[in-house]
Amino acid sequence: MNLLIQRLWRKQATRDALAGYLFMTPTLVVAGIFLVLPVIYAVVLSFYKVRLLGDVNYQWVGLKNFVRIVNDERVWIALKNTVDYAVIVVPTQTILALALALLLNSQIRGKNGFRVVFFLPAVTSSAVLTLIFMWIYNSNGLLNSMLSFLKLPTYNWLGDPAVALKGIMIMNIWSTAPLFMVIYLAALQEIPESLYEAATLDGANRWEKFLHVTLPFLKPVTFFVVVMGMIGTFQLFDQSYIFSAGSGGPNNSTLTIVLLIYQYAFKNLDMGYALALTLVLAMVLMVATLVQRRLFREESLD
Amino acid sequence: MWEIRRFLRKNLPPGVVPCSQVQLGNAHQEAPGSYRFREAGASRSGLQSGNFVTRTIGFGLLTAMVAIALVACHSEQTAIAPITDSAQAKEPPITLRFSGWQSNPNEKKLLEQLIKEFETQNPSIDVKYEVINSEYMDVIKTRLIGDVAPDVFYLDVFEAPLLMKYGVLEPLDSYMTPEFNLADFEPSLLNAFKYNGKLYGLPKDFSTLALFYNTDSFAAAGLTQPPKTWDEFLTASKVLTIDQNKDGKIDQYGFGVAPELARQVFMIKAFGGELLDSNGYAVFASPNSLKGLELVIDQYRRDRSAAQPSDVGTTWGSEMLGQGKAAMVIEGLWAIPYFKETFPNLAFATAEVPTVNDKPGTMAFTVAYVMNRKSTHKQAAWKFIAYLTGKSGMKAWAKQGLALPTRQSVLAELGYDRDPLYAPFVNGASYATIWQAGENLPTIRTNFNNQFVSALLGEQSLADAMKKAQDTANREIYLAN
Repeated sequence: MNLLIQRLWRKQATRDALAGYLFMTPTLVVAGIFLVLPVIYAVVLSFYKVRLLGDVNYQWVGLKNFVRIVNDERVWIALKNTVDYAVIVVPTQTILALALALLLNSQIRGKNGFRVVFFLPAVTSSAVLTLIFMWIYNSNGLLNSMLSFLKLPTYNWLGDPAVALKGIMIMNIWSTAPLFMVIYLAALQEIPESLYEAATLDGANRWEKFLHVTLPFLKPVTFFVVVMGMIGTFQLFDQSYIFSAGSGGPNNSTLTIVLLIYQYAFKNLDMGYALALTLVLAMVLMVATLVQRRLFREESLD
Repeated sequence: MWEIRRFLRKNLPPGVVPCSQVQLGNAHQEAPGSYRFREAGASRSGLQSGNFVTRTIGFGLLTAMVAIALVACHSEQTAIAPITDSAQAKEPPITLRFSGWQSNPNEKKLLEQLIKEFETQNPSIDVKYEVINSEYMDVIKTRLIGDVAPDVFYLDVFEAPLLMKYGVLEPLDSYMTPEFNLADFEPSLLNAFKYNGKLYGLPKDFSTLALFYNTDSFAAAGLTQPPKTWDEFLTASKVLTIDQNKDGKIDQYGFGVAPELARQVFMIKAFGGELLDSNGYAVFASPNSLKGLELVIDQYRRDRSAAQPSDVGTTWGSEMLGQGKAAMVIEGLWAIPYFKETFPNLAFATAEVPTVNDKPGTMAFTVAYVMNRKSTHKQAAWKFIAYLTGKSGMKAWAKQGLALPTRQSVLAELGYDRDPLYAPFVNGASYATIWQAGENLPTIRTNFNNQFVSALLGEQSLADAMKKAQDTANREIYLAN
């Protein structure tokens, strides 16, 4: 035994590995306690009926929480709202971010000024943004005044179920696009100038250069932007919470999955069910990410 | 902050008054204007989000204050130590933690005065008042789960059944003394805080709903007195709905409607409908309850003489009346100080809610002081509750006119029933429906509000909407049990 340890110790690789793990210990401990353990605990608890208030007790219910999800109408409404939201917001904000980045990457006057102005929404707290937008969306607010000035129809943006989620969409696109714009901007500056020169020599026009040089180069960044955008939109909570005062109304139109989880966990104190919903959300996100990875990889082969 | 304070107290040498008491206290003074009207569940988004900002700013301030206080403490320690009377410091006072929300800056000021007086009367008790303004019940529930809940806290009658059932509150019966005179309390309000024959909370105040109307608008429309019946009310609403500049956009609606269950239960009951059956399941989609609710929907959809707050760019009913967007609203007593502070030029009066189906009806909201079962200072906590809800404490509290006192003797003594502005609220108490219906009411409320708005906007018929709300609520209640 001793001999074995001595022999192992003499090996450079073992010593290196040990030192490596030793250095990583603080991180491993912290991540283990605050990340891995809670995740495992959450997975386990989603099979229980949990009562936390008063006398704490756990009751094994098997798959009952998950069966309940299937029959819960509000889950499907929330899922539909969230998917609707993601389908509109993710492409729009990605295209907008790319367009803004291209614009700011060109040789226009006052480039730095524009960069600052465009980036400001991304550094403002979303709670503050929501409050500002609630003023803009007010029935007598800025947006409706502008619409009626242009002789366009006005809406009760905060109270009408038909447009409430669209209001949040507009706000979110406006505030997230700049962040992705900066990422695109950084990637654009990485593209070697020589490629464009070669394309010019081959007789490519601007649009062709964009299509065949810029876009393929930006593919990994686009993947990142789309995945992050997807995760961000699926986790929509604060905006719809502030909009609807936590109810997800009017008529469930701003109910998102995370808001529903919050309602079950903290309003109804139904932790087991809320955790089951969380697992489902995680699954949905994982599947969505895998699908996107497959899509992007296939394209990069040709 | 509490932790720091305890830390300081523990670690200071004897004879040193923890100066954090003074400095830290200020950090809690949140920005005024964060009105919160929990009673009715009426906290619409605007109000809530106001708190959001306040809280964020407050937190920053708090951090700064703690830092300053710590520094200040450090330098003061040496300065104060020799002067402090050593006899006083031998027994450190009990720290009693107390939480509530704040619906008005004056409320906090008054409560702090009462606390100070209590502390002078009881030098061995040090009350630490913590205001929780946003999502009060979520915070309290989470703290109860985490065993860090305050010793004494506010509890809305609407949320009481759940906490009483889960046994996290201390029954107060054993602390009761004859001189406290429990019989003086309004019995229906007391009953709302009883569970299995035990009393868990002492209602601190209450309010009913009454009709607020703009007297200038009434005079302009040639109306001499407030409507007595719902028919009169509907007719008056039509007359009061005015498009002044004829641009097709109505400038003043007759009535500002609050499409929320907390405000509509008496309409459900007006024609003999019920909210719950005896097993605790929702039955509000019955034909009888629809009859009452139909009146609200018809006024909004057919007469077009009512508007929701968000239709006219406001956050709640009183703001509609204050801004002249509605000539009548049905609100609680809390609107009176709000009007006086925010709209000092508004000419308004109050009347009892018009009778529906020849029956008087309104809602009643109340809040109690309750004791945490896990409190380590139960005697001190009782002393504090008894002081606040005792005759003199309640009188001092109710004098400001933010809510009515729950002790009948105090109510009579303060003469609110003779004040024309307050009398409708006092009269309403005898026939009001208390905003409470078992521990599943939050689920029922969410589903009702969600679908009722949809019917109000004409997305579906009232019967369909209520059926849907009732079925969803009942399924959730069934599955959660």
